[in-house]
Amino acid sequence: MSDALTPIEGALEDEGLFFTRDDDDDAYRVAFKSEGDRYFVVAYRDDPNFIMIGSGWTLPAEVDTFDALDIANVLNVRKKFVKTALWEEERDVLFTVELCVNSAEEVRPNFGRLLDVLRDTAAEFFEELRDDEPQNGSE
Amino acid sequence: MTSIRDTVARFIESEGHRVDASPLDEAEGVSELLFRTRGQVFSVTTFEKNPGAFTISTAYEIPDWARERGQNVETLARVNDEFPDIAFLMAHDDGLFITTSDETPGSPEAFTRTFWERVARVRTAGARAVEEIVDRTESKAAAEKFINSFMRGEQ
Repeated sequence: MSDALTPIEGALEDEGLFFTRDDDDDAYRVAFKSEGDRYFVVAYRDDPNFIMIGSGWTLPAEVDTFDALDIANVLNVRKKFVKTALWEEERDVLFTVELCVNSAEEVRPNFGRLLDVLRDTAAEFFEELRDDEPQNGSE
Repeated sequence: MTSIRDTVARFIESEGHRVDASPLDEAEGVSELLFRTRGQVFSVTTFEKNPGAFTISTAYEIPDWARERGQNVETLARVNDEFPDIAFLMAHDDGLFITTSDETPGSPEAFTRTFWERVARVRTAGARAVEEIVDRTESKAAAEKFINSFMRGEQ
């Protein structure tokens, strides 16, 4: 039986990726990995036009949250599609693409591009964090 | 004991990707693993008799309009200078080229530790070659050469 995320399953098949479903009363959810990194897709049952594709990472303990926020802000200005957000209490950083669609079928032909931009944004975020780290022995 | 092929296939699958495994030479224990990532199909070759060696390959189609240009082999040689660890090979009547990396990490475990970095290296080299092949500025240079010659009255 098809539902709001069935076209996303098709997109993942197109990409040659495994996936799992974890639906509940509120939402449809798909989880998958690509090159070892974990991603999710969510659609809410009460909002059939909304789709979110995302990935989440834990910030390393030594990272200054304000540095991370600065980088997230720069990425939010510069990057198409992707929203970068910090969940300070959990010290997590979340990268999401949030879309308004008539059907997830509209996402399917662009899924590879959206996955690329999620991947690139996360890579840039952590690269910038590394560049911001004080060097050993420096003041 | 788990074969080299199965060890690598299980690793790629554990990273989220479907793998199609097939023998290339059963007597010699040579197998090919096919998987997709970022819209591109990659091939990994495993050798049961040489567990420390692998190859990673992918193919890029050359657009029809760029196939007859005659300088694609030279272009690949030029890109090869930039990526000396990657081999470039024209195939299918110059309709596509293959980029290959011969890997000798010493063991399947060592291979899987740097697997995605090496896949990225093969992809970057291939993308660079595509960029060079579809670059039309060489035609402009040829036109400029003709115009210079024309203006000097040699044409």
